Amino acid sequence: MRALSIAATGMQAQQTNVETIANNLANMNTTGFKQQRAEFEDLLYQNVVTPGSQTSDAGTYAPNGIQIGAGVKTAAIYRINTQGDLQNTGNPYDIAVQGAGYFEIQQPDGTDAYTRSGNFSLSAQGQLVTQDGLLVLPGISIPNNATAVTINTQGQVLATVAGNTTPQTVGQLELTVFPNPSGLNSVGSNLFLQTPASGSPQTGVPGSPGYGTIQQGYLETSNVNSVDEITALITAQRAYEMNSKVVTAADQMLQQTAQLGGA
Amino acid sequence: MDNSLLVSLSQQIAAFRSMDVIANNLANMSTPGYKRETARFEEYMEQVPPAEGQTGKQTVSFVKDAGIMRDLSQGELSHTGSPLDVALNGNGYFVVQTPAGARYTRDGHFSLDPNGQLVTSEGYPVQGDGGAITITPDDGEINIGTDGTVSSVLNGNANQIGKLQVVDFADDSTLTKQGSNLYSTTQATTQATASVQQGMLEGSNVQPVIEITHMIDVSRAYQMTATLSSSQEDLMRQAISQLGSMPAAA
Repeated sequence: MRALSIAATGMQAQQTNVETIANNLANMNTTGFKQQRAEFEDLLYQNVVTPGSQTSDAGTYAPNGIQIGAGVKTAAIYRINTQGDLQNTGNPYDIAVQGAGYFEIQQPDGTDAYTRSGNFSLSAQGQLVTQDGLLVLPGISIPNNATAVTINTQGQVLATVAGNTTPQTVGQLELTVFPNPSGLNSVGSNLFLQTPASGSPQTGVPGSPGYGTIQQGYLETSNVNSVDEITALITAQRAYEMNSKVVTAADQMLQQTAQLGGA
Repeated sequence: MDNSLLVSLSQQIAAFRSMDVIANNLANMSTPGYKRETARFEEYMEQVPPAEGQTGKQTVSFVKDAGIMRDLSQGELSHTGSPLDVALNGNGYFVVQTPAGARYTRDGHFSLDPNGQLVTSEGYPVQGDGGAITITPDDGEINIGTDGTVSSVLNGNANQIGKLQVVDFADDSTLTKQGSNLYSTTQATTQATASVQQGMLEGSNVQPVIEITHMIDVSRAYQMTATLSSSQEDLMRQAISQLGSMPAAA
């Protein structure tokens, strides 16, 4: 009897669904977090009678075959890369990307990671770093005597130093885009890594075609919609319950079978 | 062998099959574009010799599989917000090129591959009117029109990238399911009437209330047949013990 295992695949799928929803809700206030969705696919079918089988030599065909499914599987958990809201923080090193693109971050081992979370700070050497102290590439150094720092929408970093009224350009922020940003590997701490699925990174100046612009003093909030998530949670919970009912019913049928010929 | 046991057996096999189909519907409640199915059965008549004391032809009817019907009604469209999610409203299928040939699907959750090609969750390219559709990061915000036209606005000018191919079939209930939300067929394609909705996915058309009700029906029917088999067996046991008992020696 397949019903038991079919219902089990259904319960597993709904469990993955609930886990994804839980992770979205847990990250509602994570800067730059992108909502995820579990996507399902039906499993292979056993062809008992293939649809369109010939039923006689007079050329009559079975209008419907008999194909018995084996349940459901999780095909993917994908990120919905829509823009999150921009929230004003007033901190000059909080930088949001409006549109496409990721900041490039240098990891301790020298390799590159990418992030949408622009809550940066200065290191002891005056370099722009993430909250984990990782360097934001291509490396921006703010002079010690800077009195004001402005970052324009094109990513130019301008610093006004004491005794000089004209701001000086001290660096240029860059953005990286991917052919398929959904294919990036999420490694926690708001960081993503390049994968064969994401395609190779292309770095460019913010505001040029295909790249987003920079907003200084803003952070991109997560794009999680709590109403959507709660509705999805209720649906997933009910679906789980229904599948567990199938397990119970199938179990009862098997129990009755076992009792046949008893006594 | 006693026919009544065999008749019960045919019903029990049918009940197991119905249960499998119901379980598959419920397991795929959240599968985009999934269409619910129902097992259909038919009567199979067999001529048997008349029982003792009766004359004329006697028939016994068994139950056997006739087919599995697919309910092709529209699933609900739900908003996902992902620009490359598309739902079909009305009759039609997207065309997907797989290594085994063209496949058809109503699951419109598409993504881009490393080369910027529009692909399914399995990585198979989705077909446009002129082959696969390629989207580059330079294209910017992607719009998909109700006729499937994929376009963007580039430097203030309309930039047409491609058009999703949406096809239909004269008889789409005979499409063979391949798993992974794909169908295959040898039928010729016809013009589809479906409209394409961007940012939405078509849910399954499984209605939990109907499935659960159906499930209760099936398990009750199974229970009754099981009871019938048990009483048949009791009768047989009694017959053996009573008819076969040797009179006690005088």
